[in-house]
Amino acid sequence: MVKKLVILKGITKTYYTGRIAYQVLRGIDLEVEEGEFLAIMGVSGSGKSTLLNIIGLLDKPDYGTYILDGQEVSKLSKKELAYIRNRKIGFVFQAFHLVPWATALENVLMPLLYRGNLKKEDEERALQFLTRLGLEKRINAKPSELSGGEQQRVAIARALITKPKLLLADEPTGNLDSKSSQEVMKIFKELNKNGLTIIMVTHDPEIAKFAQRIKIIKDGIFVEE
Amino acid sequence: MKISFFQFLKDIFKELLSNKINFLFMCLALTISLIALNTIYSLGLSAKKQVLDALASVQFGKDAMLIIAGGGRIIGLTTTRTDTLKLEDVEEIKKLDFVTLASPMSRGTLEVSYKDFAEKLRVEGVFPNYTIANNWYPKIGRFINENDLKSMTKVCVLGADIPERLNTKNIIGEKIKIAGETFEVIGVLESKPSFGHFRRDERVIIPFTTAQRRVFNKDYIDAVKLLFREGTDMKMAENKIREILRKRHNLFGIAPDDFRIITPDLAISVFTKTMRTINVFLLAIALISLIISGVIIMNLMYANIEEKAPIIALRIALGASSKKIIEHYLIMSLFIAIISGIAGWILSLFLMEIISFFTPLKPIFSWWIFLLSFLFASFTGISFTLIPAIRASQIDPAILLKSL
Repeated sequence: MVKKLVILKGITKTYYTGRIAYQVLRGIDLEVEEGEFLAIMGVSGSGKSTLLNIIGLLDKPDYGTYILDGQEVSKLSKKELAYIRNRKIGFVFQAFHLVPWATALENVLMPLLYRGNLKKEDEERALQFLTRLGLEKRINAKPSELSGGEQQRVAIARALITKPKLLLADEPTGNLDSKSSQEVMKIFKELNKNGLTIIMVTHDPEIAKFAQRIKIIKDGIFVEE
Repeated sequence: MKISFFQFLKDIFKELLSNKINFLFMCLALTISLIALNTIYSLGLSAKKQVLDALASVQFGKDAMLIIAGGGRIIGLTTTRTDTLKLEDVEEIKKLDFVTLASPMSRGTLEVSYKDFAEKLRVEGVFPNYTIANNWYPKIGRFINENDLKSMTKVCVLGADIPERLNTKNIIGEKIKIAGETFEVIGVLESKPSFGHFRRDERVIIPFTTAQRRVFNKDYIDAVKLLFREGTDMKMAENKIREILRKRHNLFGIAPDDFRIITPDLAISVFTKTMRTINVFLLAIALISLIISGVIIMNLMYANIEEKAPIIALRIALGASSKKIIEHYLIMSLFIAIISGIAGWILSLFLMEIISFFTPLKPIFSWWIFLLSFLFASFTGISFTLIPAIRASQIDPAILLKSL
């Protein structure tokens, strides 16, 4: 039996703007197996980013349980969540979110910095990742000197450096041209083939096609495919 | 571990340099108030050192004491009789084992004249051991000797400033008049540093016996300078001497002392008192300016954190703990403090050089001030960055996705 990496049950989340309550998630159930490549689709305002925040432990659900890699995580403290994020989850964002004054290499090493035991071999590993992603000549470049596709590849290398179990991607191709988008998706495909679990949020059906499974979210709840 | 910490510092420093104007203003605010603090503090030290040097140069640095006839406040009019201190009292004090030397004197202000010069000057009748007691020797000629005392000769030694005032090149052997009596000049004292309005180099010294019998016509003395064995407990010495004098002067119960005991510490505190009051006041102003610079830093740090919120959110998302984020900004403020601390220290050295051109105060170099500058800079920097840093650590990483 394949192990389930992510199990969400009855997840709800409500935001309050002044006195107006806005229920973004209304009972999400989701199971993701190890090695799966899942795309979550939905229009803007459907709650897909909030869901990704919760899966990525950047936000806590109001109700429901979340079991990540066999561990109940919905009640953990901020510090414990930071620890798990650092070790189990890799993030790829639409806006790349690279640190502007750091070089490509320094950006890739950043998650390890917060573990406090950056070693010489980590640097070599980061170089390998960058080389694999075709950035061997740009390791000392600042983000502003890189193209969008290159920036996103640096971000992918940064997500992979911690050897995560789960890669979360939020509209990873949203800011890229179609050629770079294809490249990034090819990278994702290959990472998935090597066993990495990926959950990707997108509104682009062309991009969602790269995933094995597609779930559609509408008004805070999954609808049938 | 080492690489991590180095990378961590490098990252902080790069962030600091990413907004140079902000960085500059933070350093500037801190540097200016540190210059004020350092300079005021050093000038206080310098003024105090001058007083100490001046006192030490006349053998009043430590292990010494001055007893003045007449009770009352340290500076000001006496409120008791002033004719009770006698040579016999000094003889009794000399018997104390810690007293190594006693040099009594009588003094007064008398008219001194020479050719067309006539002025009231301080005249002191002293013993030959005056030179040792005050570490004050003749620059030219000789000092009063035992023979002068025995024969009550009419000779005098002048303070260093007087020959110039008399307008004579070769003063030795000249005759001057003191209160109508003619005295022969036998020497001129070396110059000693003055402090305040008290001009040390304007005095005329004559033999003690001559003074008592021929000039002042009195049987009591005005003061006695005592030297003690090195390391004598001043409090104990003061108590013993007070006891002897009160007993000999028949003072009992609440009767006030008819003499004053001046210790080196007392002299220092009297001469530095006004200065200290002003200095404390100025230091208070400098500290207020330090607080203001702290508030400026807090403000700019807040602005910096607002500006860098997405990056801070990213760090948190990538696994940075709250502690790490707070550390990040405290170290950043420490960078600012170190730079400002050094700059404030160096610039205050320059400022003191400039001040020394216009005032008698000499610049003083002390590592203690360097340390002070550093400590105050770090304390201000860190304490005022604490609130912005805590604020930064509470940034919600969820904004990374919501911002889209």
